[in-house]
Amino acid sequence: MLGIFFQQAVNALTIGSIYALIALGYTMVYGVLRMINFAHGEMFMLGAYAAFLVLALLAGDAHAAGPLTLVAAFVIAVVAVGGIGVLIERFAYKPLRNSTRLAPMLSSLGASLALVAGMQILAGPQPVAFPSFFPSVTYNVMGGTVTSVQIGILVAAFVLMYGLTLLVNRSRIGVIVRAVSESRQTARLLGINVDFAISMVFFTGALLGAAGGILYASYYGIMSPTMGAVVGLKAFTAAILGGIGSIPGAVLGAFILAFVEVAGTALLPLLTGGLLGTEYRDVLAFAILILVLLVRPAGILGEPVSEESMVYKREF
Amino acid sequence: MKSVALLCLGVSLITAPAFADDITIGLAGPLSGPQAYFGGTWHNGFKLYVDKLNAAGGVNGTKVLINQQDDKADPREGTLVAQKFCDDDKVIIGLVNFNSGVAQSTLPIYEDCKMPTMTFGSNPSLTRQGYKFMVRPVANDLAGALLPAEYALGKLGAKTAVVVNDKQVFGQGISEIFASNFEKGGGKVLDTLAVAPSDVDFTAVLAQIKAKKPDVIYLGAVMPQLALFAKQMHQQGVKATLLVPDGGYTPDLIQQAGQDNVQGTLVAIQVPPMDASPDIAAFAKAYKDKYGEEAGPYSIYGYVQGQILEQVLKDTKGHSREQMNDALHHVKAKTAIGVLEFDDTGELKVGPSYLYKVDGKDFVLIGSK
Repeated sequence: MLGIFFQQAVNALTIGSIYALIALGYTMVYGVLRMINFAHGEMFMLGAYAAFLVLALLAGDAHAAGPLTLVAAFVIAVVAVGGIGVLIERFAYKPLRNSTRLAPMLSSLGASLALVAGMQILAGPQPVAFPSFFPSVTYNVMGGTVTSVQIGILVAAFVLMYGLTLLVNRSRIGVIVRAVSESRQTARLLGINVDFAISMVFFTGALLGAAGGILYASYYGIMSPTMGAVVGLKAFTAAILGGIGSIPGAVLGAFILAFVEVAGTALLPLLTGGLLGTEYRDVLAFAILILVLLVRPAGILGEPVSEESMVYKREF
Repeated sequence: MKSVALLCLGVSLITAPAFADDITIGLAGPLSGPQAYFGGTWHNGFKLYVDKLNAAGGVNGTKVLINQQDDKADPREGTLVAQKFCDDDKVIIGLVNFNSGVAQSTLPIYEDCKMPTMTFGSNPSLTRQGYKFMVRPVANDLAGALLPAEYALGKLGAKTAVVVNDKQVFGQGISEIFASNFEKGGGKVLDTLAVAPSDVDFTAVLAQIKAKKPDVIYLGAVMPQLALFAKQMHQQGVKATLLVPDGGYTPDLIQQAGQDNVQGTLVAIQVPPMDASPDIAAFAKAYKDKYGEEAGPYSIYGYVQGQILEQVLKDTKGHSREQMNDALHHVKAKTAIGVLEFDDTGELKVGPSYLYKVDGKDFVLIGSK
């Protein structure tokens, strides 16, 4: 029994850390621009495809790459996708920055569709086998099974998240980004390069999303052009749950969502005597989301929006 | 009303092609999109036989022409094609629709214009709607899930099973059939679990299954979920034997799951191995010579349908759609996969099904019915 419990906890942590990496991108963009970037799920998909492409170019066969090649592919791919994130902002959102808040969101939906369709044309619609970035070793701990891939994902995700925390709180770029998120106008008047700050946000967000995509494809062993849709929605839900705009909130929301999903799969049939099966997992997840939003409309760690702060931040 | 009927009869008499004229067969299947490989290679098998037939001078001097259309695996497209075939007096038999969902919407149209069809969709419900003008020359899902259940009970000595399905028409249907067969044979289904069709993470479900320690797991789903499940099952150390339906009969299963993770997985499909008999081996070689690639999973069925057509043309009293339909329903055709006959509903009297086991990087035949 303890073994199963431990096993499910590790499963939830693995899924949660991948959700968290993606949720961060949603939350950072919202924090600075007050827009939901619907094309963010596609950064996750592009990350996997970019890594696969780099591997194939470096090693000839993506499935026979050595550890150095894998690290190089990971770094090159996430930086490249970060650059794509910046370009998308430049061409699809920036021209709309001063129109209604809905316009860039619609534009991001368009970007999302274009990226998926483009990848379907380029690489074909079928799923592709993806090489594992970690040597697969299985450990038995307390009767549960943990794979080295799960440990690798946890470590990589936490390193990236810690790096982001340092970047936001301890670096010059972080100061600029926080200033712009407080008030774009004031920051501009104080001589801060607002465009640079926004580009940086898109770069980091897309980079983390791509890293999530590579870890995900490596964990499950496949990638497909539509893989960003479902995971993107889950990560977006996690960001809302934790409080959109809040960085620790996104991480917290992601882990809560992952634990609810796993607990739903494990406990629902037991608690209801088989009446509600595992297929109600997502219903449970969204029910919890609704309950949280009823109590805290801004999410668990989100700033409650008062009239005063709205006027101050020029939200509308 | 009566006069209209008489008029129709008159028209059909005038336009009925004379005996020994060439006839046209309407082919519809997915020729573009993700399922194009299945549709294209299935039709190629049929063309292979028809070319052979025509080269030998046809049947009693009647040559067979082909009108091939793309239904894109889409019911809307399928109905347009069906209407086109109906309106074309030259088309007297349809070889139609790879997908059950498409067949479901085209069958009423063919029924209305009295066009006999050999339908390829495998959902059991297709033959239960009283259509008089259809036969199904391929085993349905009832047969597809009987053999794995019998094998699990008999050969593997399995006592307990867990059934997982993806909540789709095909996946849920076929896994329910497996479960009832397994229980009928004296086995015990410990649990039935459902997952979302888009799920990629089965670790939580697998941890639950692991605790139950079943002998076998039946997974009613399609690719890539089959490969993902197999991989995670192995990683989580679940020791049961995995059984999957025909969607898993592709090299992708082994590639996407990783060779080590699918060893011993059982796949049930209606297709015999390409070296099963001299007839089939000869077909496989002829196919490769003509098209420059290995035969697809269902090419042999296209070829078999050609053999059925030849027998129908020998038996039929004339080339009207009704006469062809009569002959089709009463046919007893010797084909590469054995003698095929249809019952009153158009279902095969004996639907062959085969069970393969993943061994190394190949599928090895371990049972057939």
